[in-house]
Amino acid sequence: MTDLPLTAAPAATRRSLNPTLARYLSAFRTPRGVVGLTILVVMVLAALLAPVLFPGGYDQQGATTFAGPSAGHLFGTDEFGRDIFVRSVYGLRVDLSLILSAVPLSMAIGTLLGLSGAISGWLGAGVQRLLDVIIGFPGLILGVCLVAVLGAGWFALFLTILIGGLPSAGRLARGAWLSQQDREYVLAARVLGVSRRQLLVRHVLPNAMDAIVVNGAVWMVVGVYIEAGLSIVGLGVQPPTPSLGVLLNNGLRFVVQSPTYIIGPASLLLLLAVGVSLMSDALNEAVNRR
Amino acid sequence: MIRYLMRKVPSVVFVLFASSVVAFALPRLAPGDVAVTLAGSDPTAANIAAIRKELGLDRSPVVQYWDWISGLFHGDLGQSYLLHRSVASLIGDRLESTVELAVFATLLVVVIGTALGVLAGSTRRWWARTALDLGNSILVAVPSFLIALALILVFGVYHRWLPASGEVSVVHDPAIGIQYLVLPAVALALSPAGGVARLLQTEMARVRNEDYVDLALAKGASPRRITLRHVLRNSFGSAVVAIGLEIGTLLAGAVVMESIFNRNGLGQLAVSSVTSRDFTVLQVLILGVVCVAVICQIVTELVLAALDPKIRLGDQ
Repeated sequence: MTDLPLTAAPAATRRSLNPTLARYLSAFRTPRGVVGLTILVVMVLAALLAPVLFPGGYDQQGATTFAGPSAGHLFGTDEFGRDIFVRSVYGLRVDLSLILSAVPLSMAIGTLLGLSGAISGWLGAGVQRLLDVIIGFPGLILGVCLVAVLGAGWFALFLTILIGGLPSAGRLARGAWLSQQDREYVLAARVLGVSRRQLLVRHVLPNAMDAIVVNGAVWMVVGVYIEAGLSIVGLGVQPPTPSLGVLLNNGLRFVVQSPTYIIGPASLLLLLAVGVSLMSDALNEAVNRR
Repeated sequence: MIRYLMRKVPSVVFVLFASSVVAFALPRLAPGDVAVTLAGSDPTAANIAAIRKELGLDRSPVVQYWDWISGLFHGDLGQSYLLHRSVASLIGDRLESTVELAVFATLLVVVIGTALGVLAGSTRRWWARTALDLGNSILVAVPSFLIALALILVFGVYHRWLPASGEVSVVHDPAIGIQYLVLPAVALALSPAGGVARLLQTEMARVRNEDYVDLALAKGASPRRITLRHVLRNSFGSAVVAIGLEIGTLLAGAVVMESIFNRNGLGQLAVSSVTSRDFTVLQVLILGVVCVAVICQIVTELVLAALDPKIRLGDQ
């Protein structure tokens, strides 16, 4: 008798987990999802294969400086005659490595922090106050603070994106916990002796998951913009390593001599943002369709 | 209202206290020693120790923190170690530039955001609504620095209509100053304006479905009167919240705008004090930004209460 619910529970999760995944995957069947995914896949492949596609590396200098766009140099050349398209593709490596590592980690840690209220109400409220302090620092200001400690570079950007994303995920997870903890089925599960961890994983988390996944996709766009913003100011990845923001920073200095310099990196950055935005829209739609 | 403000005090004090600790601690956690930098060509141990003593860096962090905070309450922002000037005078020199940019940009956010939102929320023609919808979404999605680059290319480089770099004080020379201000302020304002417009539009669409709008319609009120008196008035609350929320973004964006348009404002001061590790300047700037953000949030809630008689602050 007492064994019954316990044996039934795992079967129920297995059934509910697959539809969840299927729902996320169904996002890629909508036109928006397909376009977004295609843009991202092409960009990730280009970034991964950059050393194969352009074995000369991003520092190969040519004879002509400030050349306009041509068949040989798609985005033109920069102040040292380096091909801006090649540099942009290498720059993409920095941006993609940042958002693809920092954002998932940020969402995961944020979720854990949000669920900390399940351990004790006092801890949960305390964590929320701390997350409020993070919200007080607008994205770039947080970046400036972290650069002051760590020095400019990839890791400071990574931490900025990671810490900046914590409050949103934390609030979503806490919201799910607060809304579910008084529901009858959660009470029933508790009475049946289901452990707190199982309760969170099986009942609370699935309720927060959709919103957190969509939020993560949105935060990836913000991450790209944070990288670009800090690099334009001069506190991002340090030259000679190119990132899309560094290229914009360099291009701005020569905007009068060579107006086409910034157009290439800027459009690549916009394309990346559009790709991620389309994905997040498609995910949002897929999640709300059920 | 007083009671409402009193209730907010503990959380505001906590956020400000935590931010002040962060602002104080972060720059000091950075590797490198100011005293070594200042000793310059003569970095003997005795010399460094003397400099540390002179600057008060040999005391415990708690004492230093207390000195700083009590100084703030007496209006003393501290001294820049590297520039040998008071932080107050450094900030005073740059304040005007940033305030001009922020105020002008906020005005543009209010005007453009409200105009686009009301247009999108009240037009009946589907093509106009779709166009405004799309326009607002694009504005929201494109960050201010990309808009800035586009504006520089179009209005500063291809057509030399407006200056794309540098600044002139609006107070000293309004005619020229405004010209320098237009591009950075528009670039800074468009994206938040799109956000405000989109919220206002959604809210107007929601309010239009309320029963009292049907009633007004049944009583024979003109569409114009319905839009202005019944729909718009009840939708403004969300626009106010959106504007309040966007001000933090705006301040952060101002840092980038100052860099792009070569304006010598507080953002540039913050960036240069990060690169030169001038942390007495940096800690004041960080705390200042958080203060402004907190004040904006409280003012937003007060305005919201003034607009909506259903919200009675402090009555619960």
